Amino acid sequence: MLYVPQEFISMYLPAIYAGLIIGFIGTMAIAMKREEIHILILTDIVGLAMIFVVSAVGTDLAEALILPGLVVELAETLAISEILITREMRKIEQDPRANLTKSSSMFPQAFSLDMEIMTTAPNFIALVLIAYGIFLTGFTGGAVAGGGIVLYAISKKARGLPVLMLDGIAGVSGIAWCIWIIGFLLFFVAPQYWLLSLFLAACGLLLKVASKVGLIGLLMREDIDKE
Amino acid sequence: MIDVTLFFYFGIILAIVGSIATAWGPGVNDPIVRTFNTEVASIGVCLVLLCYNHVLALLTLLATTVIISLILFRAIIRLEEMGADV
Repeated sequence: MLYVPQEFISMYLPAIYAGLIIGFIGTMAIAMKREEIHILILTDIVGLAMIFVVSAVGTDLAEALILPGLVVELAETLAISEILITREMRKIEQDPRANLTKSSSMFPQAFSLDMEIMTTAPNFIALVLIAYGIFLTGFTGGAVAGGGIVLYAISKKARGLPVLMLDGIAGVSGIAWCIWIIGFLLFFVAPQYWLLSLFLAACGLLLKVASKVGLIGLLMREDIDKE
Repeated sequence: MIDVTLFFYFGIILAIVGSIATAWGPGVNDPIVRTFNTEVASIGVCLVLLCYNHVLALLTLLATTVIISLILFRAIIRLEEMGADV
């Protein structure tokens, strides 16, 4: 039997009701809106309702279910935003009256601040985030390390510097899946090597999630190349 | 000793108020305002996860919230530059 503390049991019903209320608000707002970008933002709220309902269980199982839910939500938001942008671009290209501006970027103009902290601090923070992410491993570590990679890419790009980006980052995620599957298989084939298989699975997930988050940096590089 | 349930109910209220603000709050026809309002709700969820001792879930939520808002800002800015109706 799983051990659930007494106060978590008394917190169960309020958390479930809060999750239901928030999910209702989110879905009602989605039903009332027409524009796709607003619907994409409101999907976040429904994701938060999911976290409420799952976390009401209060055990380690809840934690283990929240982590993949969050990472999948992140990937889903990234994919749908790309689809939205592509669709709008196609719509505007087909319209002969519209004048499509080719240059588009998250940061329209480069900073011209000449301070030492602007060059050293982002690198240090990114390094700390990546090191902490590698220490955490798994879904959490992947998200933290990916955040570090994105911070590094953005801070370089905001100053107008070229961003170092490794091509073939998609290959890393394939290798990461292989590591994860080998770790999972080793659990059943040779249970005495459980620590090795645990670390294989954790490091595979770390590589997978971090490389997926690093894709955002890759997308921003495409924005620069257009100019 | 401060009662944990105080933080729990405060988190729930913050999450509900934040989601109402995201859905029907003032100025939400601007998608950037709407994105900022989701942060309020996610802080409420962070408090609830803190009460449940879900440290890893809390860290992942913080990291993914930051990255999701970056993705959304990028999408909003590109859509507005293209002249789409947002």
